[in-house]
Amino acid sequence: MLSFQSSKNVLSLTEDLLVRIYELLAAESDRKSFRLVCREFRRIDTLTRRHLRVIRIEFLPILLRKYPRLQSLDLSACPRIDDGVVSLLLTRVGPGSNSPILGHWAWGLKSLVLSRATGLRFSGLEMLARACPCLESVDVSYCCGFGDREAAALSSAVGLRELNMDKCLQLTDVGLAKIAVGCSKLEKLSLKWCMEMTDLGIDLLCKKCVDLKYLDVSYLKVTNESLHSIASLLKLEVLGLMACPLIDDVGLQFIERGCPSLKVIDVSRCEGVSSSGLIFVVRGHRNLLELNAGYCLSELSTALLHQMKNLNHLEVIRIDGARISETSFQVISANCKSLVEIGLSKCLGVTNMGIMRLVSACINLRVLNLTCCHSITDAAISAIAYSCRSLVCLKVESCNMITEKGLCQLGSFCLLLEEIDLTDCCGVNDKGLEYLSRCSELSCLKLGLCTNISNKGLSYIGFNCLKIHELDLYRCTGIGDDGLEALSNGCKKLRKLNLSYCNEVSDRGLGYIGRLEELSDLEMRALHKITGVGLEAVAVGCKRLADLDMKHCEKVGDSGFWALAYYSKNLRQINLSYCGISDMALCMVMGNLSRLQEAKLVHLSNCTVEGVELALRACCVRIKKVKLFAPLRFMLSSEILEILHARGCIIRWD
Amino acid sequence: MQDGSVNDLLQASKIQDWDPSAMLNNLSFLGQKIHQLQDLVYLIIGRKGQVLGRPDELLVQQQQLVTADLTSIIVQLISTAGSLLPSVKQTLSAATTSLGQCGEFGGVVFPSSAQGLNDGVQPQNAGGSKVSELPNSVDITSNNGNEQSNHIIEEHELKDEEDAEEGENLLPGTYEILQLEKEEILAPHTHFCTICGKGFKRDANLRMHMRGHGDEYKTPGALAKPTKESSSEPTIIKRYSCPYAGCKRNKDHKKFQPLKTILCVKNHYKRTHCDKSYICSRCNTKKFSVIADLKTHEKHCGKDKWLCSCGTTFSRKDKLFGHITLFQGHTPAIPSDEIKAAPAGTSDGATNKVGSVNFNLSYVSSESEVQSSSMDIKGGIDDAVGYFSPLSFDTCNFGGFHEFPRPPFDDSESSFAFLLSRSCNYSQKSGEE
Repeated sequence: MLSFQSSKNVLSLTEDLLVRIYELLAAESDRKSFRLVCREFRRIDTLTRRHLRVIRIEFLPILLRKYPRLQSLDLSACPRIDDGVVSLLLTRVGPGSNSPILGHWAWGLKSLVLSRATGLRFSGLEMLARACPCLESVDVSYCCGFGDREAAALSSAVGLRELNMDKCLQLTDVGLAKIAVGCSKLEKLSLKWCMEMTDLGIDLLCKKCVDLKYLDVSYLKVTNESLHSIASLLKLEVLGLMACPLIDDVGLQFIERGCPSLKVIDVSRCEGVSSSGLIFVVRGHRNLLELNAGYCLSELSTALLHQMKNLNHLEVIRIDGARISETSFQVISANCKSLVEIGLSKCLGVTNMGIMRLVSACINLRVLNLTCCHSITDAAISAIAYSCRSLVCLKVESCNMITEKGLCQLGSFCLLLEEIDLTDCCGVNDKGLEYLSRCSELSCLKLGLCTNISNKGLSYIGFNCLKIHELDLYRCTGIGDDGLEALSNGCKKLRKLNLSYCNEVSDRGLGYIGRLEELSDLEMRALHKITGVGLEAVAVGCKRLADLDMKHCEKVGDSGFWALAYYSKNLRQINLSYCGISDMALCMVMGNLSRLQEAKLVHLSNCTVEGVELALRACCVRIKKVKLFAPLRFMLSSEILEILHARGCIIRWD
Repeated sequence: MQDGSVNDLLQASKIQDWDPSAMLNNLSFLGQKIHQLQDLVYLIIGRKGQVLGRPDELLVQQQQLVTADLTSIIVQLISTAGSLLPSVKQTLSAATTSLGQCGEFGGVVFPSSAQGLNDGVQPQNAGGSKVSELPNSVDITSNNGNEQSNHIIEEHELKDEEDAEEGENLLPGTYEILQLEKEEILAPHTHFCTICGKGFKRDANLRMHMRGHGDEYKTPGALAKPTKESSSEPTIIKRYSCPYAGCKRNKDHKKFQPLKTILCVKNHYKRTHCDKSYICSRCNTKKFSVIADLKTHEKHCGKDKWLCSCGTTFSRKDKLFGHITLFQGHTPAIPSDEIKAAPAGTSDGATNKVGSVNFNLSYVSSESEVQSSSMDIKGGIDDAVGYFSPLSFDTCNFGGFHEFPRPPFDDSESSFAFLLSRSCNYSQKSGEE
């Protein structure tokens, strides 16, 4: 570095400095640019890379060989991984191609994401758990077939601290007991939708894993008995009890006396919980940071409000669906000054005056959800904008009385705004969008059903909001090709776009969409003007496209689908219902798109039964979910249905 | 006549505590009886030698007679020994004890007068048969419906819980404490037929049996349940003591807890102070001293499906989980039949299925040979094969396509790929994100 005479460019930096620079790069795209600079930079990348998310399983052996220092491996996008692959990876993939040191890559691995790895079973899991001695975090959520044997396999990873088993439907108390005994260091455990779980399992867990800090038992049919056991966890900070139908106020009384470290509790949608139950919780835990009580309170009672006065540290409160009075807002704002997020979705009694009182003291508010608070007008929005300068997210879906005046205030004061939901706010017009476009940090904008906006309004967004990555234009019938042109020129980061029922959009518009290289999620239902040409432009341009919904795009011909089959290699979900696709094109799409997991194939008027049969055969090893026209149930061969069933594919008949 | 004699006996018993002379009388009476029986047997033997052609009928009758007498003697012997009991107790317990009841209970009163001796060979209905009048009457009332029918009431159906009265707090002195002797408790039968000497556990069963001895036992009066004489008088609560010294149920124990009925005494004594001689034939491990307990166990034996890693089985999940909570490192064992079922039913089943579709495609054999060298798990081979599109082309008219062998990590694009004229230049480096 000191040898100025040799070269003064960045290449003369020493390795350790390059590593430091590399570590400062936060965004994945920046790292990608970094490693494409030169061989040396690429070497730095391979040496220092810690995290890898694999999209195409066929590259997995090479990648594992190339990145020997991996600590975190995400295989959630490779649902085809199974026991055989794991066995091969562990026996053959060493640091050098010719010197197979068994499973070297696994030695340093700390985190493993196997979400939706439905092909994996206990033998593969057990091999992985044994091969990774440092494993601390495992995610096997949405592996619906997982049960006790898989849990037993996981329990051999004794150092496990975090485990996510959401929707492992076969898991019972026995499997949980295996984990509780085997992984006693567990700190974070999520058991959402593990419907077989009972109080016995939770009780044992609480006795064996005393270090638990995070426990989510949402949607389980556990009773107050479980809460009694949970109350004994001294280190528990986060407790998720969402939609537990058998839990009631008596159970929350245990929580009042237990869980001394509790910071976050979620009792939303618990039918049995009333405000008296919440009073117990609030009374026992003055230091509560987050209280989520959405859709379980009919009314924010004065007794509860009285107790809430003590929650001086409260940062997040959600009381969706409750009746709330103006004076309540005053009490909240006077006492809970550190509030960062408040959820009032579908609350009754939310008025301009109430909101004004709330924001007068809660100036740190960053997230505000006022969905379906119909009586909100520009006055309230102005007050919010004026007081809460650090507002990041505002949801005002179907608040019809908001007009450009309110948006003007937001555009003037809330310059940090990143997300705004204006769905079904028919008061929003082009002028309003112009004001809103001053929020240059905006990344998520929802304008569904805003029929008063046109191409002009969209062009303001395209011109100013360059960071936008999600845009919803559902049924914005005023939007046409010109608006999309402006959008594609500015919003290059767009990842998710909804154009459904924007009837004016034609092939030219889709051509502009094709310029959005980051686009991964495109919904374009019932665009009657588009043809195969438009679809081809999208397929060629949007290389990252993963989810495509083109229901009712009847004019798209086979040329478009062929292009789709050829170019959109990353497509994971597709909806082709009511499209004019032919047998041949369908087989191409289903057979060629090797990452396809979900397909909706209803009412394909140009397809024969044989065509659908062949298409299904072409994709049956990887497809996970398929929706078919109901009469086909008896017309398709039983063989293919059996194969699909055996591979774990879910068929929905419509 | 018999009733009368019993009453006489009861009258006689009122006088005595423990009378050595009465005991002597009893013993001599027994001795006499044994001699008589001895003579009878001699006689039978003598006759046997003479008349060989006699019908068997007579022999059977004689045998019955001898058996009945012997039974009667045994019963009386036991009762005589048992007569020591009330006398001991009476000196200790309060004077409130009704002598009549004592006699009724103990049943140890033997004819002290010549009357009893004169009865001679005729079996006595003294002692034993009268002994358990009390528990009997309890049982019968609870089985009123059965009484008139011919069903024999089975003992084990009425397994009394010895702890049934655990909650009751009778003040000491407000009830009468009775104590049976060990032999009496263990006697298999408490009711004996006065004619043939057959023993019964229940009075009701005895009365049913009596009908076979003649029409006089078939009258409603004879069949009816003996009424409680004490119904008019204020009854004194009776509680029982276990004869085992040092037992909590023994009246000398500091924290004495009395037993409620004679059945309780029996079950308690057998369960606590006797060998467990009944072994479950299914599991060969569980032992019981009360046959009813064994029968209860046998109903559930073999249903212990909750297994711990240490090998202990439990009939209930909560018991297993309690065990696991208690012992460090123990985990529930997953039943072995599931191990067999899981690969066949779920994951491997899937691959097998696909495999079966695959097998007629020519590439499979060569491919699996290549693979088998590197794959060490059984499922792996099938799975690797599973990567290839299991199209069965012969059913369709798209003939002409065929698959090429591919390494397992190759992208499994279907054979349609080559239909596209342009070669795929999709970046091979985009496999990461």
